Amino acid sequence: MDGVRSADGTTGVRAIAADPEAPPGASGTLRSVHAAQRHLLRTIPNVRAATGGGLPLERQQRDMELPHVIDAAGAEDATLRARAVPGAPVPAFRAFLDGTQRSEVVGWCGSLPLVYGSAGAVVRERLDRRLTTWERPLVQHRIYAPLAYAPRAELEAALSGMLEDTTKPSADGTIVPPHPTLLLERATLAVSRNRELLEIALAERWCASREEPIMIDGGIGASEVVAQSACAVGVVKSHRTLYAEGDALSIVLALRRGERSSVIRIAPRGRSEVLSWYLRLRDTSGHDALWGLVRAEMCVTVQPRVTERADEISRWLLAESSPLAAPDPRWDRMAYGIRSAEEFLRATNN
Amino acid sequence: MTAPLGLVVATERTPNTPHQFQFWTAIDSPVGIGTIVRVDGRQPVEGHIPQVYGVVTEGFSYTDLASPLFDVLGHDGDPGQSAFAPTERAEVRLYIAAVLRHVPEEPLQPVPMGEVFLATEADVAIALRMDSYLREDANTGIPIGLYRSGGMDSAIYLDAEFLVGPEAAHLNITGVSGLATKTSAVEWLLASLFAHFPVSKGSVAAVCFNVKGPDLCFLDLPAELEAEDRAMYETLDVPCEPFRNVRYFAPFKADNVSLNTLRSNEELLANVQPLTWGLREVLQFAEVLLNRDDVDAKADALIDFIKERVLDRDFEDRVLKEPHRVRSFADLEAWFRDLLSGLEDRGDEHWRTHHVATIRKVRNRLTNISTRCAGLVTNDGHTSDLPWGDFADRAVYVVDVALAEEDAQDLIFARIVSKLREHLERRDLGVTHVVVFVDELNKYAPADGPETYVRKMLLDIAERGRYLGLVLFSAQQFRSQVHRRVVGNAGTALYGRMDGDELATPGYAVLSAATRTKLATLSKGQLMVRHPHFTQPIFISFPRPAVMRGRDGMERYPQAKDVPLDVGVLRQLRRFDPSLTLAWVQDVIGLYEDDDVLRALHATLAHAPDNAGAYFRAQFRKIVGASVAPAPARTPLRALPDDDPYAI
Repeated sequence: MDGVRSADGTTGVRAIAADPEAPPGASGTLRSVHAAQRHLLRTIPNVRAATGGGLPLERQQRDMELPHVIDAAGAEDATLRARAVPGAPVPAFRAFLDGTQRSEVVGWCGSLPLVYGSAGAVVRERLDRRLTTWERPLVQHRIYAPLAYAPRAELEAALSGMLEDTTKPSADGTIVPPHPTLLLERATLAVSRNRELLEIALAERWCASREEPIMIDGGIGASEVVAQSACAVGVVKSHRTLYAEGDALSIVLALRRGERSSVIRIAPRGRSEVLSWYLRLRDTSGHDALWGLVRAEMCVTVQPRVTERADEISRWLLAESSPLAAPDPRWDRMAYGIRSAEEFLRATNN
Repeated sequence: MTAPLGLVVATERTPNTPHQFQFWTAIDSPVGIGTIVRVDGRQPVEGHIPQVYGVVTEGFSYTDLASPLFDVLGHDGDPGQSAFAPTERAEVRLYIAAVLRHVPEEPLQPVPMGEVFLATEADVAIALRMDSYLREDANTGIPIGLYRSGGMDSAIYLDAEFLVGPEAAHLNITGVSGLATKTSAVEWLLASLFAHFPVSKGSVAAVCFNVKGPDLCFLDLPAELEAEDRAMYETLDVPCEPFRNVRYFAPFKADNVSLNTLRSNEELLANVQPLTWGLREVLQFAEVLLNRDDVDAKADALIDFIKERVLDRDFEDRVLKEPHRVRSFADLEAWFRDLLSGLEDRGDEHWRTHHVATIRKVRNRLTNISTRCAGLVTNDGHTSDLPWGDFADRAVYVVDVALAEEDAQDLIFARIVSKLREHLERRDLGVTHVVVFVDELNKYAPADGPETYVRKMLLDIAERGRYLGLVLFSAQQFRSQVHRRVVGNAGTALYGRMDGDELATPGYAVLSAATRTKLATLSKGQLMVRHPHFTQPIFISFPRPAVMRGRDGMERYPQAKDVPLDVGVLRQLRRFDPSLTLAWVQDVIGLYEDDDVLRALHATLAHAPDNAGAYFRAQFRKIVGASVAPAPARTPLRALPDDDPYAI
């Protein structure tokens, strides 16, 4: 998982696959952690309530993915180089899309964890310099349980469509062992996947109905529809994977404020191909090399106007460096509109 | 149904209570400090959806910035760049409201989460409990002004039962000087009271003490009002006209012929009457003027003796050379002179247990009163007074003491209020309720300083007046400097623009910082109202009074200059008979001393006869005019004989 954790454990979006639209909303029984816990204790025998203090699983777990670098093919220059973004920053994004998730153990069935997961996604549209919610946010509440080991019948009866199995067999038919930590990780991944599906659903809806640019937190390659849309711009703030090696990496890390790298072509496994480049939003004086560095993604269909388009989008992104997204710790890379989306979901999605 | 204005919010740290709640609104909402709102609860309680009414007392505005430093960084330290930021920060308008009323009243619970609406006119009536006294069958509402919010005007009413009594009574108004708010508010409220005081509750008149300037000197003359003011009069159903029945009373100047008032222009004298008292009236309130440190118990005893045994009686004593009947200060002086002379002749030091030194001291103090209160106290014993027993309903009696000496002011105030109280107790004043308006209350009833007769009287009115129908409308610049029991007993309190230092005193600690700020910036024609039915202060607007402003009146009707005795006499007599001329007056008084003229004038004014000229002339004793003696007839000398032998 390459999401970036915010201060309270909610996670930024990283779309990975296009799936059917997730069911919006949740019944009253799962509207909150406490409601879900009460419901489980009331309906499932032998369930112990978790008293862990409400710390989200996202905050407890460490990133499994190790930081690494990957070489990428150039789409603009033969050799990656630094390019000054010409012209003044111009605000052009009409909307900002982001999603959040939160997972928490609400009970134990013996040693088996029952996880309450909440995911949501929203588009914040900018009208007259003010951000408002576009259409309706998507929110999903689920109980994630290892049904291979837990009392499946009782859980299905109690939760019906709001239950997800964290022990689904893999392609070769194997089932994960009932290691509690492993089961918690599986639950968290499942919540993350659902959150991504919600984001994709909203992004595709925007791309289908609107033409104005939308900034999507994270990459856009998880959906073919979005990856091919001219209005979608992905902004990746975390850099556990850097698409530059050797001299190219040095050039990327040495970018100055208002400079971008040459456009490269990336196509991670299972994702659609997109064009991407690094852009420095802020001066790095007194900070590390990743300070203020974002990686932008756009569709590949814009060739051969790659340079003009990358410069144009870079100007849009530079314009979003104010106002600051503080107090979010990622404010050096985060657009205020993305923070607004996260704050909206935090306020409405428990 | 109107859209909600805001939503109630509460957190564990800042929960809502039964008396206070908070809500947020859109940035462009018309909510402000003093706005009345209604909260509709979401969950029924005992079958009723609770509704809570509140008034906004505090407001907050903030963004999602954790520190101002982030904004500085976001703009690279250049405030000019803010205009280029593509997005405005999320901003919240959070308000705190004090609860005015819960419906239903029980069970009294914390304010529920719910939608917040701008109060409609009907909501305002419910929120302020005006519905209880604006019923068709028992309407005791007295309009005080308009509550304005969100483009809506709502008439605000005081309850006559709590303004004039008997449930509560009295009104106090405070505010900085110079904005004409205090006097204007009282003039407006009197007009409103006269227009709306229910006939079923009796009759009402007002006695206004004009203690400074010409503010109250033109209550019977119209003002030029703007359309907005006229509209307010119409909305509040109060006639936009000056007071119909106003009478002015003022003492004379030291010359005893010119009235000591700013309303002395000859065109306005028709309803201006001298206020003069004789010995009897003054002695009843001698302690107002006598210094307690100077007049001890022995002197008191002699004064009481004079009041009970000497005044208005035929008094004889072996020490006195002749019988005395003391009716005036002149008579009293003659009595003292005779008494002391007799004691000296006899070599006695005591007279009827009173030591001669005490007698000399009392003589000195009492006879000095006529000097200290010259113009008010007459030597000849004639009085010209308020129409005790004949007060008219909806009439205003203005007693102008603005130019009088301080002692005279105290005496006037003490005696008039005492007489009002006496007559109201006996139910023979002519009206059942009297509003007494006193400005500069911090002078007459200060919070500290020596106990004075006037302060005792004000305390007495404040604490017991409502049972008699004696209502005090008082005003001052600094409420904190007025005796607490006087302002504390005022059921209704009005506040105009306040001074910052005054607002910093403990008496205003119950108000929120925002409310105090609003008080410090109120404009002319705005007031904050506290009334027993209103559980929180309410801000209102009131129209300019429909009477001529003092400044305008002084420009149009300048004060009369001091005039010679004959002109002064003519001016006074013309009130009764405009046909009199200066030549006629000069003819009548030409032979007499000034004292005789004044005695005749005071007698005429006191009796107000139909034929004033004749009555005035009749007051003079007959004096045969000097005439040139005819020259004796001369007898012509006899012619001498030519042959007179003795002729030279």
